[in-house]
Amino acid sequence: MDSRDGDGSTEDYETLIQTTDVELLKRAWRQEKAAPEILKFETDLITRLTGQIELVEENVEQDSQSGIDPLTVSLYQMDLDRTQFLLRSYLRIRLQKIEKYIFHILATAELYNRLSKQEKEFAKSCLVDLEKHLEESVLSKLPNNYQSIFKQSMISEENDMVAKPQLDTFVVCKTNDYLGHIQLEDNEDGSSDDRANQRPLEEPFEMETDVLYFVRYKAIKGFVEEGRIDLF
Amino acid sequence: MYGKKASELVKEIASSEKGQLTPFSSDLFDEVIEECKQHYHELECLIRRMEDQGLNVETAKNEDHYGALIHHLSLVRNKRCLMAYLYNRAEILRTLMWKVGSVIPEEIKEKLSYSEKEYITKHSSSLKKYMSSVELDLEVDMVPPKDPYIKVRVLDDLGGDILLSDDKKANFTRHSMHFLKRTDAEQLISQGKMEELKD
Repeated sequence: MDSRDGDGSTEDYETLIQTTDVELLKRAWRQEKAAPEILKFETDLITRLTGQIELVEENVEQDSQSGIDPLTVSLYQMDLDRTQFLLRSYLRIRLQKIEKYIFHILATAELYNRLSKQEKEFAKSCLVDLEKHLEESVLSKLPNNYQSIFKQSMISEENDMVAKPQLDTFVVCKTNDYLGHIQLEDNEDGSSDDRANQRPLEEPFEMETDVLYFVRYKAIKGFVEEGRIDLF
Repeated sequence: MYGKKASELVKEIASSEKGQLTPFSSDLFDEVIEECKQHYHELECLIRRMEDQGLNVETAKNEDHYGALIHHLSLVRNKRCLMAYLYNRAEILRTLMWKVGSVIPEEIKEKLSYSEKEYITKHSSSLKKYMSSVELDLEVDMVPPKDPYIKVRVLDDLGGDILLSDDKKANFTRHSMHFLKRTDAEQLISQGKMEELKD
C-alpha cells in the first residue's frame, strides 16, 4: 500500500518504492515461494501490513460512500486486493511447508523458532493430528521396537524416518552486492580441514550484482537467511 | 518374497496420476502389517535360539544372526513402505483441501480409510483455528487478482434482489452476463451460482 501522499518528484522515488512495505512483502513472498525450507517469519512487516490494510479498507469504504470518483476508488481497491493476495499467499505457502515437513520442523529448534506464534500453534495441532493418524493406522500395530514415528527401529541412532526439505535443489537468484568465495562443493561430510585429501574443488564461486544465477540452495542458504541474496 | 506386498503399496502411489487418490488398499495394507508381525516372530525365535546356545547376540555372527538381520531389515522396509503410503496419501489430501476447501467431496471420501477421514476433519479444524487466529480467510484469493472487475455468467436464477456494493441492484436471471466487481462476484462464484468468463 503506497502511502497516499507520497510525492514522486525526486530521483529517490525508485528507492522509496523499493522499500515500501508492499515491496518488502512481495520480496518476502518471493523468497518464501522459492526457498525449499521455511524461512523466518516477517513478524514486524506482517504486523505493519495488517494495520495498513485495515486503514485502506476503511478509506475505500468511506470514499465509495462520499461520492469520490469511482475510478479512483477502484484503483485503491485494486491495490488493496493485490496486497491482500500477497499476504494470503505468503501465509499459505508457509502453512503448506509446515504441513509437509512438520516432523522435521518440530524436531529442529532453529526451524521451529522461525515460525510465528500462530504458526507454532498450528504446527503443534498439525503434529498431533498426523501422529494420531499414523499411530492408529500403522505404528500401534507394529512390534514394540518398531513403533517410533521418528526412527525406523530402536537401533537407529538418529531420526531416519523424517521427511526433510531438499536443500540441494537448484534456485534462481540474484545478489545486491558483490559476493566472492562461495563454496559450491559440499564439504560438510568428510574432513573439511584436511585440504590434501579433498578432491580438487571447483573455483570458488563469485556472484556479481544484478546477474541471475542458477545454483544449489544449500550453497547460498546463509546469504538468503541474511537477506543478501534474492530468490526468484 | 519378503517386502513384495509392501512395494506394491508404494507402487500404487507412484503410478497413480499426480494428485489423484486411489481407494485405500486396506486388504493389502493389513497383509503387510501381518507380514511385519510374522517377521518379528521369526526374529524373536532366532534370537532365542542363539541365547539358548549360550551365544552373545551382539557379537556372534552365525547363520542365525544373519537370519535375524534379514527379518529385521524386511520389517523396517515394510514399515517404511506403510508409512510412505499413508504419508503420501495424507499429503495428497491436504493439497486437495487447499484446492476445494475443507469440505471433501463424497466420491473422494469413499476412497479413504476411517483414520484418514478422522485426520482430515481434525486437520481442517486446525487450519480453521489458525485462520481465525490471524483473522484472515486463506481459502479465498487463490489466484492473483488481475482486475477489480470481472465478467460473469449467471448459472442459477438469482432474481433481482441481490444488492451490490455500490447500492445498485442487478437483475441476475439465468444465463445473463454481467460485468461485476470481483469482490461482489467472488462469493457467488464459489457457491457455484455464477461462473467467471475468461477471454
